[in-house]
Amino acid sequence: MSPGKTKGIGPYLLIAPAGLLLAIFLVLPYLNIGVMSFRVPGQGTPYGEGFTLVNYARFFADSFYIWQVVNTLWIGFLTTAICLVIGFPVAWQLTRPNMRFRGLAYGLVLSPLLVGIVIRSYGWTILLGNNGLINRTLTNMGLIDAPLPLMYNALGIIIALVHVFLPFMILPIMNGIQGIDPSLEAAARSLGASRATAFRRIVLPLSMPGIQAGCILVFVLSLSAYVTPSLIGGLKVKTMAVTVVDALIDTFQWPFGSALALMLSVTGAIIVVIFGRMTRMKWKVA
Amino acid sequence: MTEVSIEKLTKSYGNARAVNAISMKIAEGEFISLLGPSGCGKTTTLKMIAGFEDVTEGAIRFDGQDVVNTPAEKRDIGMVFQNYALFPHMTVEQNLAFGLEMRKVPKPQMRERIAKVLDMVQLKGYEARYPRQLSGGQQQRVALARALVIEPKILLLDEPLANLDAKLREEMRVFIRDLQRRVGITTVYVTHDQAEAMTMSDRVVVMFGGRIAQIGSPTDIYERPENHEVAEFVGQVNLVEAKVESVGEGTATVTSPLGNFILPTKISVKPGNMVSLALRPEAIELSMATAGQPAATVLASYYSGALMDYRLKLDNGDELHAQTFPVNRFAEGDRVALHAPAERFWLVGVAQ
Repeated sequence: MSPGKTKGIGPYLLIAPAGLLLAIFLVLPYLNIGVMSFRVPGQGTPYGEGFTLVNYARFFADSFYIWQVVNTLWIGFLTTAICLVIGFPVAWQLTRPNMRFRGLAYGLVLSPLLVGIVIRSYGWTILLGNNGLINRTLTNMGLIDAPLPLMYNALGIIIALVHVFLPFMILPIMNGIQGIDPSLEAAARSLGASRATAFRRIVLPLSMPGIQAGCILVFVLSLSAYVTPSLIGGLKVKTMAVTVVDALIDTFQWPFGSALALMLSVTGAIIVVIFGRMTRMKWKVA
Repeated sequence: MTEVSIEKLTKSYGNARAVNAISMKIAEGEFISLLGPSGCGKTTTLKMIAGFEDVTEGAIRFDGQDVVNTPAEKRDIGMVFQNYALFPHMTVEQNLAFGLEMRKVPKPQMRERIAKVLDMVQLKGYEARYPRQLSGGQQQRVALARALVIEPKILLLDEPLANLDAKLREEMRVFIRDLQRRVGITTVYVTHDQAEAMTMSDRVVVMFGGRIAQIGSPTDIYERPENHEVAEFVGQVNLVEAKVESVGEGTATVTSPLGNFILPTKISVKPGNMVSLALRPEAIELSMATAGQPAATVLASYYSGALMDYRLKLDNGDELHAQTFPVNRFAEGDRVALHAPAERFWLVGVAQ
């Protein structure tokens, strides 16, 4: 083998393990789901013989499912937005050079990830339930007569999702802000910009790569979240991921469930692509 | 045009004093360099003038007005950073427009000023480029243009040439100096490179350990350094032992292996004292040894194109470094005669 040839396939060899993993655990399942979504619904079996478009027809004919997608996207959107609003100041503070207790603060940021998902969601039901800590405290204090609806609705799901996905917003933004040369802010100030203007005109646009990454992560994770919405949303509010699992496992409708799953993925992907386009940074690709 | 006056300026970090009660006056349109090794307080001083560092004690006056409590953005300074600090998400034009926008300059006037200053730094046609599409030298010039386009009271430069390669650095020295002369702006330049400070400045402020060691013209600093530390920092220097024979009015007559001289002295010496004389390598002239002349043996010679460097050994065993034009060349082992005029010596201290 000539040295030139080694150089040619070397990089591919390096990414081969990751590529193999992606192929086995992402591409193959997606192909499987794709094929499955065109199968004929079965009678007493998960799917029948031959191929059909009937599963997609059923999705588009029933506004219930379309609304569920819209609802899921809406929950994902709100979760992302709230994570951004809460997470950015935290990320900003954590990157300040004179930050005290940085290690502790860092640990707190990561803490949601240190608790198992079921336990965490269960914890939220203890807090948010009609007979939960928050409602009982407020009732005992005489502030409310009837319990506030904090659970079994979109609000509860969003609260719990924000809690667990916050680190996925904070870490990329921190990373982005850390990459900003501190002398840029000084330069802006020397040119006559106040601290606030320097932040708005320089720091904020330059943290866009981090914000973009964080938003995409949190949004995608929110769309595909299953345990949290199913435990906190209960039977009343179902996100698309919950409905997909219902269809696949509870009612055994593999073809229809696959179609639902694909519709969610595709709309999610379209939104991510549009978001990526909208927030494209010319100065990065230039 | 602005005159800057610094009075007893001090910056403390806890008990450590990064800048220790320094005072200086910078005249209108003057180009002054703060020169010193890293940690001497030169950058801290610059940052205090710019308003990026709080002042512990003392005053900074622009045309008599104390600006110590004025925030950086209100001081009307133009600053060039070591790493240029160009805004990466803005084009050259947007970088230059930033300061003008902050000053609410109307659009047509803005375009005019940007065009003018881009012409000045020879970067016309680069308006739409992003900083990463420019070479180091070009980025440097954009940084300079961005600082100048706002027509600031003072121009501050923090080691702006440190990241450029040697050839470009020399070009930029001349470029910045010419530009500063043309614009006539009061300029403070921070550097640890003595050649840079000497070639560019009207006056050089040599700093050590948070204090000013000497302020003077490049000639003063190089040829009449106030102490040995300054002499060593701004160039190479030989130390020659000598003996004081007699003392006059501010002068001393000394005998040394290089001859007998009458030298001005600022320190008090007594006849019989052993003292050190300092002498720059290029002040020594060499010729073929003849009897009765101070002489030395060539230990090694180094040719560097424009100059010859010699390591010489005096008959008493001391070594000297001499630098000459390569007209007469001497080889290892040659006996050479040493000529050094009295005015090139200075007396640096009494041996204990």
